[in-house]
Parts: sequence; structure tokens; C-alpha cells
Amino acid sequence: MTASKIRSGMTRLVPYAFILPPMIYLMVFMFWPLGRQMYMSLTNTRIINPNRGRFIGLGNYQRLFDDPAFYLSLKATLAYAVLAVIFGVALGTISALAIDRPFKGRAIVRAILLFGWAVPNVAASLIWLWMYNDRSGVFNRLTEALGIGRFGWLTSIDLALPSILATTVWQVAPFVMLVVLAALQSVPHEVREAARIDGADGLSTFRAVTLPHIRPAIQLAALLVCVWSIRRFDIIYLLTGGGPVGTTSTLVVKIRQTAFENHELGMASAYGAIGLVLALAVAAIHCTVEQRRMKWMAR
Amino acid sequence: MPALTFNNVSKSFGDNTVIKAFNAEIHDGEFLVLLGPSGCGKSTLLRMIAGLSDITSGQLLFDKIVANDWEPKQRGVAFVFQSYALYPHMTVRENIAFPLIMDAFKKWYHLPIVNIVARHRLMRRKDISDRTLQMARQLELEPLLDRRPSGLSGGQRQRVALARALVRNPALYLLDEPLSNLDAKLRTQMRSEISALHHKVAKTFVYVTHDQVEAMTMANRIIIMDKGIVQQVDTPDEIYDNPANTFVAKFIGSPPMNLIPASIRPDGLKLAGQIAVAHDAAKPTRREATFGIRPEKLRLKAKGEGRLPARVSIIERLGAETVIGCSLVTDRKSDDLLIEQDLVFVRVSGNPRMQIGEACSVDYGAEDVLWFDSDSGERISLKSE
Repeated sequence: MTASKIRSGMTRLVPYAFILPPMIYLMVFMFWPLGRQMYMSLTNTRIINPNRGRFIGLGNYQRLFDDPAFYLSLKATLAYAVLAVIFGVALGTISALAIDRPFKGRAIVRAILLFGWAVPNVAASLIWLWMYNDRSGVFNRLTEALGIGRFGWLTSIDLALPSILATTVWQVAPFVMLVVLAALQSVPHEVREAARIDGADGLSTFRAVTLPHIRPAIQLAALLVCVWSIRRFDIIYLLTGGGPVGTTSTLVVKIRQTAFENHELGMASAYGAIGLVLALAVAAIHCTVEQRRMKWMAR
Repeated sequence: MPALTFNNVSKSFGDNTVIKAFNAEIHDGEFLVLLGPSGCGKSTLLRMIAGLSDITSGQLLFDKIVANDWEPKQRGVAFVFQSYALYPHMTVRENIAFPLIMDAFKKWYHLPIVNIVARHRLMRRKDISDRTLQMARQLELEPLLDRRPSGLSGGQRQRVALARALVRNPALYLLDEPLSNLDAKLRTQMRSEISALHHKVAKTFVYVTHDQVEAMTMANRIIIMDKGIVQQVDTPDEIYDNPANTFVAKFIGSPPMNLIPASIRPDGLKLAGQIAVAHDAAKPTRREATFGIRPEKLRLKAKGEGRLPARVSIIERLGAETVIGCSLVTDRKSDDLLIEQDLVFVRVSGNPRMQIGEACSVDYGAEDVLWFDSDSGERISLKSE
């Protein structure tokens, strides 16, 4: 074999060498645990003796679908994720549009708006826990001052999910704002000016120029917020622990409860598998929409 | 068509003044070209006409009415951008129809759902769809109507931008370097298409470019600008034959006008500091001036036959003609001679058999010489001296 052939063979291997470390990482820390979890969801593994689980087929799933608590959990997860996307994306986009134009003190406003995203989830949850406090919380002081009495923000069946959502939106909206702001700043200035020349008012310019340009960024932000919401544990657990009466017990909270309170690792894995399917479905919808958009643009 | 008048119009960005006391009038139906090097303020001026940039001081009048604060729509202008500025997610048809849809758009169409329905109905409205189709046919875009800008070539995009500008039948067309993104061949083609379009629509065109060929071939009048100041406003012929100053003389023409420092003596001239030349025609009365002559007015002769001894330094063969850069033979060191600004360019027809380094001579007709002030660069009128 000549030296040039060896060199050419080595060159062909270089790309594989570069992707090998992340592939090993994904195999060890993602695919292997995922495979294990999927298998575990087909067993009756308990936390007391995790290696002695017996294969029971789809038994866990059958129990899951027969359990009304699962549907309550699924409903809470979907409601939480959908509303977090709607409000988080709307608020983030509006904030981005507001600070896109130059005005005095823009840097300070931007820093304030980013505060929610910069604060760690646990710290944010504790801040909001204090604000929601029945006796000393700022919200109840405000409602009392307004003469409408006190509310059990985190203990009322009607208010618990909206209260958690408020905290979540406060956390995710700045992220959406950053993503949309980056997209806004790449909108070609001349196209906006062309719309002005063509007689478009502010709203028409937004619809005709700005929105189509920032739509992929909004879509991506919505996907991430949705997947994060399906996976979110810390804020919900710290604020309500899944209560009251399971109204905020999302799939992830349910996984913890099933695994560490009921000691049923097999069943918890089945909950996890449902969560995974949900997240994958959202990602698949995003990919389909994005592919269609690309095809439509290239037409 | 509005007559446009600029009264001492200035534009500053902070402390940086980019246009200084601009005064001009744009006549009905003319093709006016704003010409100048990059950064001279010509695009800023165009944007001020369109209402896209504020006027710092002075007045811009549309039909003798001050229009400084008018919205772009109110001015009834069409603008073709350098980057075409097409709406990327819209088809060619939607791009062309957009100004018409905006004209027919009512405030309450902004309501959700109503907006989508209203736009679709407006797109299908007979007058709008007919006018869109007419413009597409006029610019040979009919087969491309359902394509998006990303699937079009540069020339096709350019034509869509023009169609969008034309569709509303505006009174004034503003074009900001619309050909600068095209290759040389397409640029030549689009140049003639825009000229033909101007004749066809018979409206006023204000065209910004830094390309003198575009300016010379398309304009009825040219405004030459440098550093925010108007250098000359005139027809292409006048600007070429009678430049107002050395900036215009050097900016127009390729190669530019030869400008040689001259000492004027009663019996003749001393050019480039060394060469004594007999010059019996009229000449400035001052002692120092700049001697200017176009390359095609110079005559290339064999050694000793012309008044200016020279040596061939550069030969640019262009096929039908040849541009020869000669260094005048002076006492200076030969190392200094191959600097382009020191060369005298001669344009000759055909393809003369000459070689670099060959000794030759250059001659001129006294009637072809233009004189400029050595300090200010302004043209010297021999009649007034």
C-alpha cells in the first residue's frame, strides 16, 4: 500500500474521529439509559430491589391507561405545556418587539427583562413561593389592599396551575425574547423600507415583512418551551409538589411520586415513556412544519 | 409629476454632515443621475426624497409645497433598492401586487381572520390582478409569477423590483444603484431596459450610481457629488467636454482626463515641471495652472514628431481601441515614472504595434486643452481672464 493511499484512508476516517466522542457520550448517557428505561417499563421493577424486576409485557401500560390519575396527570401536563407555550411565546415576542426599536434606557429594560431567565429555577421558585405566601406574600397583600380578600394561590384547585404558569412564563419569556430579538435584528432593513414605500402601515409591515422573517425563530422557541415544559420538574415540585388534588401533578412529578413514594420503578418508567412520546411528537410536528416551510419557500 | 426643488438641503448624522447645502431642481420627465464615489451622500439624498431619511435643514419641495415631513406613501414615489428588497415569502405575483393591495387596504382589514380573507379577495380583484399581469407581461415575468424570489436569478429579481415599482404608476421613480449586484453582461442589458422603460413610461427617474458608464449612457442630466457637495449639474456631454473642476474631470471618463501641472510662460508652457512646449493659443494669464486634456484628444506620434517626448509604460488593448499610458520624458528618476497618476493616457483606435519601453512622442491641439486652477481645481474660463 502506497503512502498516499494510507493518507487518503486516514483522511476518510477524520470525520468519524470527530463525531466519536459525542457519539460515545450519547450512547453512554442517553441511548443506553433510555433503552434501559424502555425495558424497565415492561417489568415490575421496584426500587427496593431494582435488579430483580420481572418482565410483564405491557402490564404497566395497561394499569396506566386504566388509572384516572394518569389522565389527570396527562391533562395537567398538556395544559401546562400548551399554556406555557402560548403565554411564554406571546410575552417573549411582544417584549422583543418592544425593545427592538431604540429608546432611552433600552439596555436597562433589556437587562430587567432578562432577569427571569438569569435566575436559577430553584431560586425563582423560592422567590415566587414567598410572593404567593398566604399571609405575607405580595400578591395577597395587594388583593387585600384592593379589597378582594386573600387567595390560596398554590393551594386552590383553580389557581394552582395558573400560579405555576405565571412563574414558568416569567422564566421562559426572556429566553423567547432573546431568540426573537436575534431574528428581528436580522430582518433586512431595506425590505421594511420597501413596505413603507409601498404604502404599508406598521401592522401591515409587521405582517408582510417582520412576522414571516421571525416565524422560524418563534417556532423554534415554541418547540423548546414546549419540550422544557413537558420535562419541567423543579418549579412545579417546589411550588405545589403536584397538588392540590393532583391538579399540577404533571407526568414528571408523577414519575417521582411513583418511583420514590410508591417505589414502582417499572411503572415510573412507563410514565417516562409516555413523556418521551409526547416530546418526540412535538419535535416531529416542528420538523414537519419546518420542512414544509422550506419546500414552500423554495417553490 | 411633481417638480422637485431642493433649497439648501443638508443632512447630518450627529456631528458628521454628509450633505451640505444641496440646491437643485428636478424637472418633469427627466432621467436624472446622482453620480459620485461611495460615501458622497447620493443614496442619502435619494432616501430623503423618498421620505426614508429626515432632512436636517433646508427644504424639499414637491410642486412648490414643503414636503420635509411627508410620509413615504404621501409622496407617491417608487423606490428600487440596491438589494431589490423583495418580500422573500411572497410569490412574484404577490410582490408585484403588494403596493396595489396596500392602496386598497382598509384599517379594519387588520382584524384577525378578516385580514387573511381581505388579502385573498384583494389579490383576486380584477383591477389588481389585471394590472399585476400587465406589469408582469411588460417586464417578461409572466412565466415566473408563481415563483418566489429565492428561485430567481439576479436579473429576474431586478425586473420584479422594477415591476413592483411601476405597478402603482407613481409620478417619481427612485433607483438606488439597482444594477450594482449584476454581472457585467446583465448590467449592460438591464441598463438598456431601464432606459427603454423611461422612454415608455415618460416619468421622472432619479437614479443613483457610482458607475460613470451608467450615468453617461442613461442620464438626461447628471449631478456629480463629492463629500456631500454638488460638483456639477449638467448634461452628460457638457460634463464630459466641460468639467467644472478637476474632480469631475478625473471622475468622468475612462481613462480619466490627463491633468498635468503647467508653468505658463509668455512663449509657451513648461509641462510636468520639465518639458518646454510651444503653445501659441490662448492660455491663462497666471503663472501656474493645471493643463487638462482627454486621452482621445492626444495624438500618439513617433519619437521626435510630437511636442511632448514620452515613453510607453502601459498598453491596454481593448479590441476596437487601445489605451496607451505614456510617461513624459523628464529629468526625474525612472523609478518614479511607473506611477499611474504620473502617466499620460492616450486613446487610439485599432491595435497599434507598440511595445512597453518604446520611445515615442505625444501631441495635442491647443483647442482641446482645458485649464484648471492649480490650488482650487476649479475650471479657468479663458474668456473672463
